[in-house]
Amino acid sequence: MTEREVLVRSDAGVHARPAMMFVREAMKYPCEVYLIKDNVEANGKSIMSVLGLAITSGSRLIVRARGEDEEGAVARLASLIENDFKN
Amino acid sequence: MQAKKIYVRDLGLADGKIDLQMELVAGKEGLGKEITVGDVNRPGLGLAGFFDFFAYDRIQIFGLGETAFMRRLTAGQKEEVFEKFFSFDVLCCVFTHNEHPDEMFVGFANRYRVPTFVTRHRTTRFISLMTHVVEEFFSPTIVMHGTLVDIYGIGMLLLGKSGVGKSETALELIERGHRLVADDMVEVKKIDESLLMGSGSEIIRHHMEIRGLGIINARDVFGIRSIRNRKRIEMVALLEEWKEDGEYDRLGIDEKRYTILDLEVPFITVPVRPGRNIPVIIETAALNQRLKKMGVFSARELDNRIQNWMRTEGERSND
Repeated sequence: MTEREVLVRSDAGVHARPAMMFVREAMKYPCEVYLIKDNVEANGKSIMSVLGLAITSGSRLIVRARGEDEEGAVARLASLIENDFKN
Repeated sequence: MQAKKIYVRDLGLADGKIDLQMELVAGKEGLGKEITVGDVNRPGLGLAGFFDFFAYDRIQIFGLGETAFMRRLTAGQKEEVFEKFFSFDVLCCVFTHNEHPDEMFVGFANRYRVPTFVTRHRTTRFISLMTHVVEEFFSPTIVMHGTLVDIYGIGMLLLGKSGVGKSETALELIERGHRLVADDMVEVKKIDESLLMGSGSEIIRHHMEIRGLGIINARDVFGIRSIRNRKRIEMVALLEEWKEDGEYDRLGIDEKRYTILDLEVPFITVPVRPGRNIPVIIETAALNQRLKKMGVFSARELDNRIQNWMRTEGERSND
């Protein structure tokens, strides 16, 4: 299992479009991907699940992956969040 | 497990299930205080001047006795006792029987930011209702990745990997007149150590993501009859890709169990492959579960019938 803590800086938080970008990236990896906020774990490959976390600007998240290429997934997804979803 | 916090303001909301009938009369600024102990305290002794062991961090309930007692105090005595009472970090106060606190109490409560409510309920009734509400908040909770549908009154939790078709199955079940509780993210609560209650996260409630369509709101698309907010989980169905060498249950004589928060629920594994009508299988599983609850166990009954027939075969062949 690999995980990394990230801070959400984008003013609008993670609304529909950023959530979609996150999920789309997560789907590219074979491992299981989770996004955790306040101890609530969301399936990183499900849009509804990610939206359900209601991630606001300033939220601290943990990106966690388990399985094949978990390091790659965490590095890519964490940087996506840190760079305000601007790739 | 989820560490959920409950604040004084949550008492008034309480999931819409139980209405505590509380009206805030003072101390609005203290509504953000966290409730850490689910217990209540009757502050009678405190009002009489005895503050040893004063459980200030609990919800203070002022019943008919407390209000009658306060009415008998002179203004001076009241000021003294309120001064003492509010010098503790009192969590919040509730006056029952629709008895309103007097101006001096309201003044103190506002100054010390102690939320003060008036409820129409009787004291004992209020305490039992409130304990129920608070206990629900404190009960063990877990968020599961699955879809919860009410099928003929059986709460069926569909599990399985992303893309195996949970949402699509739920969609077909809704079309067949069943009700969606939550898609993708199910909050499961253990209540009274005996039952598992499932509900959806509030903000995404009744929304579904269907690949190729995007996000839909089941409530808007299918109407109010197609949804419900919570449902007891009575069965778990795991959808998984059909494996040629997978050993699937062919008899259903032994009941398998799935453990959630230390409670066991009947469990089936449903192999998915093109051409299998999964919603019908899930629907039938729910009906079969209802039958079992009513004491009819098809697989065992067939087995008994066959065994009986074999036992008596010898007699028949003698005829």
